[in-house]
Amino acid sequence: MSEEIISSLKSEFADSILKVFLEDKKILVTVKKEGFYDVLSSLKGMGFDHLSDVTCIDYIKEQEFEIFYHLWAHKKKLRVSVKVRIPRDSSSIRSVTDLWTGAQIHERENHEMFGVNFPGNPDLSPLFLEDWEEIPPLRKDFDTRKFVRRKYYGEE
Amino acid sequence: MEKLRPKAMIKSIHEARAWSLWVVNYFNSCGFIELFPWLGSGYDMERFGIRVVGSPRHADVLIVAGYITQKAVKRVRRIYDQMPSPKYAMALGSCCMTGGMYWDSYSTVKRIDEYVPVDVWVLGCPPRPENVGHGLMMLMKKIKGGFQGH
Repeated sequence: MSEEIISSLKSEFADSILKVFLEDKKILVTVKKEGFYDVLSSLKGMGFDHLSDVTCIDYIKEQEFEIFYHLWAHKKKLRVSVKVRIPRDSSSIRSVTDLWTGAQIHERENHEMFGVNFPGNPDLSPLFLEDWEEIPPLRKDFDTRKFVRRKYYGEE
Repeated sequence: MEKLRPKAMIKSIHEARAWSLWVVNYFNSCGFIELFPWLGSGYDMERFGIRVVGSPRHADVLIVAGYITQKAVKRVRRIYDQMPSPKYAMALGSCCMTGGMYWDSYSTVKRIDEYVPVDVWVLGCPPRPENVGHGLMMLMKKIKGGFQGH
């Protein structure tokens, strides 16, 4: 089952997929930013009807964010992770709320914690943080200890 | 009150107040697990007239336990403001006093007494049920002595 999906992905999106392989019953797909939405919508057509999570990793040395989409197919009992790299300074990626409605809250959280912009998402207002004036707190260049010392202990 | 009533009556009012502490909880983490034995028949806090109520408008004591975030502390203050006077506050566990293990987090509040006036501090991470009881007894002792809260 998973070999069929891998081969059909390889043949259909030969130019936008960088890497596909099977790891521990999970298919890992690395996609270019340009073709990621087509790959995700074709995966949804293959039966991956559940979006488990959208996560973000900050690769500060490469100046890139990596966005992960974890998908699950209820009938096939298969897991796919799609990862996309986007540049850190203009971090913006198309929203997938029109494919999976549940993506809305994950994208909202990533927008708050990493500052990634998701055009197409209906509501990106702050979720957990109130009165936040600093850079997004889960970015690697945000020094929590320095922030706490400055804000709560009055040190510079 | 002091002018109108004789001394013995005032003393009995303090005594009565101390023996009917109604508690409203604001619990975020493991501190509540350590209050459970007091809620149940094991330690049984109803024998001291202490019970948990659902509404802050009926409560005398606010027990704050666990990590309080910047977002949650506004709700704590709102609960405290809704309570009728005389009101008391108790901080449970080192997390809400110092920030605990996550003192360097971007979201936790380091000292709860900067936001809510705390009368009794119960130390521990989390405190033992005996410590919780000791804190409640200390509060009762204070109220018996005429403590009116903040």
